[in-house]
Amino acid sequence: MSQNPGAAEVTSAAPGTTLAVDVRHLDKDFAGTRALNDASLRVRAGSVHALLGGNGSGKSTTIKILAGVYPADAGDLDIFGTPYDLGAYTPSTAQQAGLRFVHQDLGLFDDLSIEENFALDSGYPRRGTGIDWKGLRARVARLLAEYELDVDPRAPISRLRPSDQTMVAIARALQEQDAEQRQILVLDEPTARLAAHESELLLERVRRRAEAGQTVLIVSHRLREVLAVSDDFTIYRDGRVAAELVAASPTEDELIELMAGRSVRALRPTGDVARADRTPIFSVSGLRGGPVRGVDFTVHRGEILGLTGLVGSGRSSILKMLFGEHAPVSGAMTLDGAPYAPGDVGEAMDAGVAMVPEDRVHEASFMDQSVTENLALATLTENWTRGFMPRGRERDTARTLIAEFGVKVAGPDALFSSMSGGNQQKVVMARWMQRAPRLLLLDEPTQGVDVMSRADLYASIRRAAADGCAVIVASSDLGEIHALCDRTLILSRGRITDDVAAGTLDVDGLTSLVLREKTAPDAPTEATA
Amino acid sequence: MTDTQAPPSTATVSIPVKQTPAPLRLLENYALPLLTVLVYIFFSFFPLSAAAFPTVNNLNVILGSQAVIALIAIAALFPLISGYFDFSLGAIAVMAQVMTAGLMSLYGLPLWLSIVISMLLGTLVGVLNGYFVTKLQMSPFVTTLGMSMLLAGLMTWFTGGKTFVSGIDPALIKFGSTRIAGIPLVFFITLIVAAIAWYFFSHTPFGRSLYAIGSNATAAKLVGLPVTKNVWWSFIVAGFIAGGAGVLQLSRVGSASASDGGTLLFPALAAVFLGATAIRPGFFNVWGTIIGAVFVSVSVSGLALSGASGWASNVFNGLALLAAVALSTYLGRRKRRG
Repeated sequence: MSQNPGAAEVTSAAPGTTLAVDVRHLDKDFAGTRALNDASLRVRAGSVHALLGGNGSGKSTTIKILAGVYPADAGDLDIFGTPYDLGAYTPSTAQQAGLRFVHQDLGLFDDLSIEENFALDSGYPRRGTGIDWKGLRARVARLLAEYELDVDPRAPISRLRPSDQTMVAIARALQEQDAEQRQILVLDEPTARLAAHESELLLERVRRRAEAGQTVLIVSHRLREVLAVSDDFTIYRDGRVAAELVAASPTEDELIELMAGRSVRALRPTGDVARADRTPIFSVSGLRGGPVRGVDFTVHRGEILGLTGLVGSGRSSILKMLFGEHAPVSGAMTLDGAPYAPGDVGEAMDAGVAMVPEDRVHEASFMDQSVTENLALATLTENWTRGFMPRGRERDTARTLIAEFGVKVAGPDALFSSMSGGNQQKVVMARWMQRAPRLLLLDEPTQGVDVMSRADLYASIRRAAADGCAVIVASSDLGEIHALCDRTLILSRGRITDDVAAGTLDVDGLTSLVLREKTAPDAPTEATA
Repeated sequence: MTDTQAPPSTATVSIPVKQTPAPLRLLENYALPLLTVLVYIFFSFFPLSAAAFPTVNNLNVILGSQAVIALIAIAALFPLISGYFDFSLGAIAVMAQVMTAGLMSLYGLPLWLSIVISMLLGTLVGVLNGYFVTKLQMSPFVTTLGMSMLLAGLMTWFTGGKTFVSGIDPALIKFGSTRIAGIPLVFFITLIVAAIAWYFFSHTPFGRSLYAIGSNATAAKLVGLPVTKNVWWSFIVAGFIAGGAGVLQLSRVGSASASDGGTLLFPALAAVFLGATAIRPGFFNVWGTIIGAVFVSVSVSGLALSGASGWASNVFNGLALLAAVALSTYLGRRKRRG
């Protein structure tokens, strides 16, 4: 692959040539899909190594194999020169080998003090029959000083600033490191929750730990931040290594090109993008709330509008505010020319809005109820006639919808839980489409759905738009956005940074827009956010 | 639809799904009523109880004593279906019983006014329970247990530890002992309340939403169901019905003294959980609950008439509750697995 030609000669002083982690020929299949295909990862001891790749490139799978969470199908693993059998590799093997993980969710107990968070991990030091609080406090204070944290060990985690919280999690993960055991710190999306200046603070300190000899492996979407701290880069694409850059300083654009590449697309856009006429159905201006910091847009009749961006960019929050689940802090919305400000989900539904939520299992499924009941729940009051629930008619409606949406199920009385994920999602979609909504909100509509069901779902979404419904699709899957949307808004840290019409950019173009993290122009109203 | 050819669909493929054969399913749905009949027949021919058990008098005792418990069980269904426990229902019933008796006996209020005030008080406790649980997000378990203790304490204070026996309107006692075709009138009242509850659960958006909330409250909110409001109402309705149960209890017993209502609540819970194994297995339902109550009563009465001691009924209630919870948990889990 494109090994940096000058890399071999560069024998920098700090990171040596010994490998801390050396994984080769890694294979992993998930239900017939190849997540990793002869992948490898070589992390030099004492270096900061960035593992990069788009969604589904296999980087998270590799990290989970290293953590012992997933078993690998095949592959060889050496850690600090010691070979490990991947067939018998468990989380405790990873622990013994010296791997320490800090995930996006830090796993800290927010209400407990720093020292207790340390002790819960390493065990409380004992003195006689009690706890040696003094000894614990001294040890934790020493560690905090070492990790440049100027905080009281007795302070609760919740009182720390976000970057300090991450640093505490790092110090806790590495608390048992000593001369006898060198450890490898794996940071999984460490800055996803942090604002720009907070991530800078954090990464500077990580950089200084590396200069002191700490080996660090970072997985991140934020290329610019990674560029600032990393020595080496491994870039994955479609489960293979697309590039390995050792002691290199690539540009952001080079990395994006390596990450996006030519990805295989199972589903292509239909090509007819002119379905939308220019009648605005819904528009919003100055929408703020949660991570959303001032968003304006309009959706037209028959238009499928895409919303995409990195995690935390505010995709889902926008949909939740549109559906009345959360009240926006400020902003005005218009639906069909009339002001629209739903107080709750019921009001949004009465106004003709429907939403398929992101988390199907927790937010849209009534697992122990039948398909008929699952469908009827969105139309209970509408169905209630002469004081009775028409069970027969509900069942007939369910039969019609099952046929129309191509749901594979034993019958209308089968339990919701008896269906596969794709078919459950079709039922959730049918639940809303039977209400003939004016505005349809879809949050990750095909997450965890097989390819055939995905094609059926796309067909239903296009049919809804063709019938005059305005559709907003929030998705992190750019293949989906590209295949489905007439127009796409790119969100970055709560603002719209790009507005892309279908046909002007391919998936790679969209990927680079999302990854580029444009510095959004600071609106003058920033202070009130 | 603008497509001229049919969209590619996979609906034509029918997949075989493991399903319980119809006769077996029928047996599963009606196992509890069948068992009740079998137990009744057993005690009718069991030498020790054959003399006293299969009589109209005993049937009157079985159905009459269980009417109040069945009523509390129906009350408990409302919060339980939406996924909440209400442990204060026994205490609410006792409060209504004591207040109705006390208002007549101590203050000489007319019967109807005493009943209205008592049932309003029961409803008010339901309003409070619902407020604590929904608006303040307090644990329903501890909240209603605390409410139960509070009410028991207040009633002890109100009665001064005495039992109200005099001054109670004889019309009420007469009502309590009235029989129609050998069956006590109070049992018919329970049946009427059960029918109304069944109507609510099966044929109103309110009842259907309670099942949805019990299944997945987050998803229920996201299909536009008024989760908070309906859960609150379920506590209010439960308080109201439990209040009525207390008045009926006074009409049957003819006296009232303070207690925590556990002797009413726990058999009622046994009936509810037994009921979840019948008619609509895996789900709390009204007719299953009534059958569960009758089953417990038939068994306890049979045991008593066979010469078992007083503790036998408690042991039986406890065992029935445990068995019922085990069974309904198993059925519910199987439902979710599909």
